Formats: sequence, C-alpha cells, structure tokens
Amino acid sequence: MPYPFWETDVGYGPLMAVIAVLHVFVSHFAIGGGLYLVVAERAARAGADLQRLAFLERLSKFFVLLSLVFGALSGVMIWFIVGLLSPAGTEALIRTFVWGWAIEWVFFIVEILAAILYYYGWKRLSARRHMAIGWIYFVAAWLSLVVINGIVTFMLTPGAWLETGEFWDGFFNPTYWPSLVMRTGICILLGGVFAVFVAGGHADRPSRLRIVRGAALWGIAGLLISAAGWLYYENVDVLSQKAFVDVAERLVLPTMAVEYMLIAGAILAGGLLVTGVFAPGLQRRPVGFVLLIAALMGFGAFEFYRESVRKPFVIHGYMYANGLRVDRVEAGAEESLLESIAYRTGDDGRDLFNYSCRSCHELEGYRAIKPFFDGTDKDYITGALAGLHAMRAPMPPFAGNAEERAKLGAWVAERVDTRPLHEIHRLEGLALGRRVFEMRCGSCHVRGGHGDVTETFEDFEAEDIDEVLSDVEMSEEMPVFSGDDKERKALIDYILSWQAEAAR
Amino acid sequence: MIFLALPDYDVLPAPLWLVTLLHVLTLTLHFAAMGCLFGGMLALFAARLPGGLENPNARKLVKLFPTLMAATVTLGVAPLLFAQLVYGKVLYSAAIVSGWFWLGVPLAAMLAYACLYAAAFTKRGPARVRVWLLLALAGLVFVSVTYSSVFSLAERPEAQKTHYAGDTSGMVWLPDVGAWIFRWLHMLTGALTVGGFFLGVLGRKDEAAWSKGKLLFTLGTGAAFVTGMIYLLTLGDVLAPFMRSAGIYSLTVGILAAVVAVPLYLMRKLVGAGVALGLGVMGMVHARHVVRDVRLEGHFDAKAIGVDPQWAVFALFAVCLVIALGAVAWMLRIFFKADAEQAA
Ligand code: HEC
Ligand code: HEC
Repeated sequence: MPYPFWETDVGYGPLMAVIAVLHVFVSHFAIGGGLYLVVAERAARAGADLQRLAFLERLSKFFVLLSLVFGALSGVMIWFIVGLLSPAGTEALIRTFVWGWAIEWVFFIVEILAAILYYYGWKRLSARRHMAIGWIYFVAAWLSLVVINGIVTFMLTPGAWLETGEFWDGFFNPTYWPSLVMRTGICILLGGVFAVFVAGGHADRPSRLRIVRGAALWGIAGLLISAAGWLYYENVDVLSQKAFVDVAERLVLPTMAVEYMLIAGAILAGGLLVTGVFAPGLQRRPVGFVLLIAALMGFGAFEFYRESVRKPFVIHGYMYANGLRVDRVEAGAEESLLESIAYRTGDDGRDLFNYSCRSCHELEGYRAIKPFFDGTDKDYITGALAGLHAMRAPMPPFAGNAEERAKLGAWVAERVDTRPLHEIHRLEGLALGRRVFEMRCGSCHVRGGHGDVTETFEDFEAEDIDEVLSDVEMSEEMPVFSGDDKERKALIDYILSWQAEAAR
Repeated sequence: MIFLALPDYDVLPAPLWLVTLLHVLTLTLHFAAMGCLFGGMLALFAARLPGGLENPNARKLVKLFPTLMAATVTLGVAPLLFAQLVYGKVLYSAAIVSGWFWLGVPLAAMLAYACLYAAAFTKRGPARVRVWLLLALAGLVFVSVTYSSVFSLAERPEAQKTHYAGDTSGMVWLPDVGAWIFRWLHMLTGALTVGGFFLGVLGRKDEAAWSKGKLLFTLGTGAAFVTGMIYLLTLGDVLAPFMRSAGIYSLTVGILAAVVAVPLYLMRKLVGAGVALGLGVMGMVHARHVVRDVRLEGHFDAKAIGVDPQWAVFALFAVCLVIALGAVAWMLRIFFKADAEQAA
C-alpha cells in the first residue's frame, strides 16, 4: 500500500455517492438532451414553428450551462475523489486505459466547444450550420460515453483481460454492449422527460400540447431502448457466475435496486403515455417533475445495482474495494500487511483497520461495524476476522498475518462494548440465546439463508452443541465460542429450541 | 478463485518520452488558457480602463471569461491525466494528505465558472459584474494556491510522511510556505504576463487598452523573471543537479523566448510575440518538470517504470485527435466567419 489513507469521518460511500450520482445524471442528460435539441430544432425549423424555436433556444441555454458548468466539472470532481478514496484502483485504471481516457478527452474538447458555439450561435449562424454544430455536439458527447462505458463496465466484468492484460479485452468486456445500449436509452429518456417537464410550464396551450407530445414519444423511445438494454444486460452470461449470484443473494441492495428500476419504468411508461401522448393537457410542471424524479430514480437504481453486484471488488476478480489485489490477499496468511503500508500513523491497529476495512466501514457512523461487535469480545473479533469472507456480506478476506489479525481484533475490541449481552440488553433465556446467536454466529450463519446450520443441529444434544462451540477444529474461518457461561447456556437452549420448532 | 498471474499495472502504456512530450504540450496549452483567464482577470482589475467595467474592451473580456474557463478546464484535464499516469504514486499521496483542499479544487472551479457566467450575463450593471468577478477570482486563487501546495508536496515524499503522521484528516496545507510561495508567485506573475498580453491583443485597436496591455505584459514579464529567479534560488540542494540536467537548457530557451516576446509585442508583431511567449511558457513547463524529477531522485524514478506500449490504441487516439482538431477548426471558422458576415 504505497498511499496514505485519508481518514474522513464522513465515510467513503456517502462521499462518493453524492458526487457520482449527480454527475452521472447530468452527463447522461447532456447527451440525450443534445440529441433532443437538434432533432427538435430540425422539426421546428422545417415547420417554421417560431414558438418552438424560441423554446428550444431557452432550453439550450439552461442545458448548455448545466452540462458545461456542472457536468464537466462534476466529472473532474469524480476523478479527483476516486484518486483520494481509491488511489490503487484509480492508478490501475489509468495505467490500463490512459489512451482510452485520452480519446475521451479529445471528444470532450469537441463536445465543450460545440456546446458553447451552439449556444452562442442561435442568431449568428445559418440554420444549417447551427444544426451541424448541434449534431457535432451530440456525436462527440455520445462518443465519450462509448469510451467511458468501456472503462465502467470493465470494473464489473473485466473478462478476458484478467488473463491477457490486453486493452481491447478489457474494453470490449462482456457487459460492454448491453451497457452501451442501456445507457444510450437512458440518455434519450432523460432528454425527453426533461423536455416534457420544461414544456409543461408553457403558457401557450397549442404549442404546449404539441411539444409535450413530441417529447413524450421521445421519452418512450428512450425507455424502450433502455429496457431492451437491461434485458440484454441481465442475461449476459458472466453475470450468472457464482460470484455475482452470490452477492445478489447475500445483499439486499441488488434485488432492491432491480425492483426500483421496474417501479420507475412502470411510472414512466404510464406517465408518459397518459399525460404525454393521450392527454398531454394533463401535463403540467408537477406531473413532469414526478416523471423526472422517476427517471432519475430508475437510473440511479441501475447504478446502485451495478455498484453493489461488484462488491467486494473495485475491479472484479482483480482488486478489492480496499485497494488490495486479489493475488496479494491470497498470500495474506503469511505476509505482513503492516510492512506493506508506506504511510503509518504510529498506531498499528488503526493502520490495519484503515487499510482493511475503512474504505467500506466506519467504526461508528457510515456502515458502522461497532454494532456488529458490541457485546462480543477480543477473541471473537479476532476469530471472526479470519472468516470475514465467509460472512453473509460480500467482503474481502483479511489480508494480514495471524499476529496482525490479533492486533486488529484487540484494537476493535477496545472500541466496542465488550460487556456480555445479558448485561447490555438485560435479556434472559431464549431471547438472550437468540441475541447471542445473532451476534456471534449470525454474521456467517443465517437461518434459512447464507451458511445455514439449522440442519446440522437437527439431532444434536446439548452436549454435542457444547462441543461444537469449543471445537477449535470446526473451521479455520470460524471463531471458537468465547462468550460467558450464561451466554453459552442460553445459546445452546436457543439452538435446541429449533428442534421443537421443527417438530411443530 | 486462484489466478496464477494477474496482469500487472505497474507499467506505462507508452514510452516515457512520448508521455512526457504530451504532458509538456498539453500543460503549456493549459497554462496559456489559464493565463488568459486568471491573468486576464488580474489585468482587467489592474488596468483600470477608462469607464471601468463599462469599457467596451472590459466587456468583451468579461464576456469571454466563461469560454476561457471552459478552455482552461478542458486543457487541464489531459496534463493531469498524464502526470497521474507516471507520477501517480507521489501525486495521489500528496493529494490524499491535503484531501479536503484537493477536493475543493473542482468545487471551487465549478463555483468560479458559475460566477463567470453570472458576470457575463448579469444585466444589473458594473457593480454586480465586479462582485461576480471577484468571487470567481477568489475561487481561482484557491485553485492555484492549492495546486502549488499539493504539487510541491508531491515532490517531497518525506514531507508527505511527516505531515500525514501529524494529521491524517486531509486538512494539511503544506506548512512550509517557503516551499511553494515563490512557485505560486511565479505562476501568478506568469499569468499576469499572459493576461496583459491578451488584454493588449484584444484591445489592439483601442489606445487605452493597448497601452495598458503593453504595460502589464512588460511589467508581468519582469515580475515573472524576478519571482522565477527567487524560486530557482530557493531550490537549495536541488539547484546543482538541476543545473546539470536538461532542464537548464529548456529554462534558458524559455527565458530567451520570453525576453524576445517583449520587443516583438511592443512593435505590434503580435503573432511572433505570441509564438515567442508560448515557447517561453513551454520552456518553463519543461524546466518545472525536470525540477520534479530531480527532487524525487532517490524516492521515485519515472525511468524505472516498465513500458508495455499499446500502439494500436495510441494510434486511434492520434487519429481521433486529428479529426477533432479538424472539427474544432471548422466550427471556429464558420462561427467567426458568421461574425465577419454580420459585421459586413
Ligand atoms: C468491500 C467493502 C468491505 C470491506 C473492505 C469490509 N467490509 Fe465489512 N461489510 C461490507 C458490507 C457491504 C457489509 C454489509 C453491511 C450491511 O449489511 O449493512 C459488511 C458487513 C460487515 C459486518 C457485519 C456482517 C453481518 O451481516 O453480520 C462485519 C462484522 C464487518 N463487515 C466487518 C468488517 C471488518 C472488520 C472489515 C475489515 C477487516 C470489513 N468488514 C471490511 C463491506 C466491506
Ligand atoms: C466468522 C464466520 C463464522 C462465525 C461467526 C461462525 N461460524 Fe460456524 N462456520 C463458519 C465457517 C466458514 C464454517 C465452515 C463452513 C463449511 O465448511 O462449509 C462454519 C461451520 C460451522 C458448522 C458446521 C456446519 C456443517 O454443516 O458442517 C457449525 C455447526 C457452525 N459453524 C456453527 C456455528 C455457531 C453455532 C456459531 C456461533 C457460535 C458459528 N458457527 C459462528 C464460519 C463462522
């Protein structure tokens, strides 16, 4: 780990999410909006529709300012922040794809200049030239998506690159095409919905109805394309690999994200058809606003889906989100993690926590780990660290040696509440037993879910369970029970109660 | 999941000389645009043109600022990309040590950009324009000081470690002001030089603007020379190895070109002066680059990084660049031709 670790209490997830979500919206909108503008300009000019032209000119002002000032600079901001939060991942991506980025930069220059000239050129340029610049804008903007899509999808499905290390293998990876179709659809959708929203506020009724209807059809086309893209995406072979299916089962987020996408899609389809195509008179600003939010929600859900099924990697199968390479971690049990850290704080436990956990967890606050360890003890934590990758949440294995694992365990234990659970929660009997199971077993064994052990205990007597709890040979990845006698007894009773439960 | 041999990213996808060449070229363009913008704002305030911000040339300049900002940002992306490609290890580290300030750079740039548009579009008179401009200027000052601080820190891996050990929250500003203040002042005066140049060119048909531009350009050149020399002297231990490096040649060429630009400009040979000034900036950019290498000696050696060229992708980049430059030229031509047609 050649880089220092930025210790912000804000948490890496929220920092990244805020900036990325806004940027991703605006940048896709900038593409679809651009296409909408030129196509609509052409139609308006062909029909000598002065009102519509005036509308488009106003729209382009807002649009260009938004995509230049916010779109371009929020993109720069993402680049700055990933360098801070994930320097190793960023370096790996830049070293691999720098010429891709250089190509994107070229399109970026054309895009920015075309946007500026389109905006200043309404009165100054002939209709034909003005539209030509509009087209150049759209093509350049879309081409930058064509490039960046290769890099974003690479992170999820690096494909053959993992073996060859070849640029093109990584770039045209298994999710490249579906993602491109889907994102292109989303661009068009966002452009259309936005135009519906703006046009809904028009004073002049006939022109309002006309513009709304056109923009709504536009939005529906985008929706259909993105839906096709999603079906294609979802069915890419790679995504049915165990690693992805596993994550989708272990985390709620991917499933939830897909649900959100479907809901958003339904709202958009219904809303655009009813208030856009059949009864455009109903389309006023508040309705348009709802549609806009639905579009953003659906798109945001897709991004969360993509981000969440990638867990725990930053580059799937290559580098974990904490910047450790997969092959480095495989060697973990022997090698010292601390020795590989160039910037030490002087507190080993803290260094270990930073470089192993803190890109995904704060101790308290963002995705806090304290609650998962309150009521346990140093031995449990140290033992659990050995089985991090066996937990229900997709996590990288701990990458240090045994001594460092003990160090981190002790460090975390000092910062959590290590009183027994019955003292903290004043629980007794089965309630206590259930809690003990949740805290000391539940991270790796979920009843009826991940790592279920219900069946194993089916015909166990109390003594057998007792033995399992003390059995150091159970699994190297499983801590030996280290709670006090009261907790042990309650846990055994609780596990025994499953048998009665099953009998009923 | 065992991969016997995962690809290694500790290689450059092009020979170092090529990356360096692109880096120096694009950084020169970035500094030129930045000089017109940041220096143009300084020059505008320093010039006190008759009529203040109502002066036609002042208005022209204010209307141009947003576009110059777009150019500055766009042209700044590439050199930072190339710098990160090679110097990632030290650059990310320095950025992380100063994390919040670093993150403030694009934020400040975004706000400055918005203020520049507000200044260009406001209909509320010159007092309002001045407020927007000053806000934008404040944003740009923040950006420039942060860059000077972070890039100075990037050249000092030892200092990164000590400052990080003292504060890990990303609130570290390189506390050794002497290390970056002259570097920054040199950038500032350099920007003023370019800004004065730009003001004069823009107002070449107007006596007041032209003479102010001339004055600021000449003064700026002198001030940049002085601050540059002081910065050179503050290099300390690094000075001797720098004098023995290729950097001294580019520095000399740069200084000569910058000096030649002055009489050319005064004689209204604007194209020649512009070329000379550009060459001057490029000389400085390369010298700056060499200083970094010299300072990093013993910590980081760019030449030691393996090279595994991706020629096919590079060729595609080159082709796209040519097409893009064609598109840019065409768009600018029809745009300004329309201007001339309208004027006629
Ligand atoms: C790749 C990101 C990542 C890293 C690195 C990571 N975790 Fe996690 N961890 C997660 C996610 C995601 C969850 C699920 C959180 C949730 O469900 O709210 C989780 C959950 C947990 C849980 C609770 C498991 C459960 O569901 O009961 C514990 C305990 C935990 N992590 C500890 C750690 C420790 C200790 C480290 C460092 C050694 C670490 N994690 C590193 C992503 C990570
Ligand atoms: C840090 C993760 C972790 C925790 C916490 C944990 N286990 Fe395990 N457990 C494992 C792993 C890994 C295995 C081995 C699974 C395998 O080999 O399929 C395992 C295996 C088992 C088995 C054998 C399963 C079988 O069918 O062979 C039982 C029983 C079991 N654990 C019970 C418990 C109980 C009870 C607790 C709580 C006191 C607990 N475990 C806590 C990780 C954990």
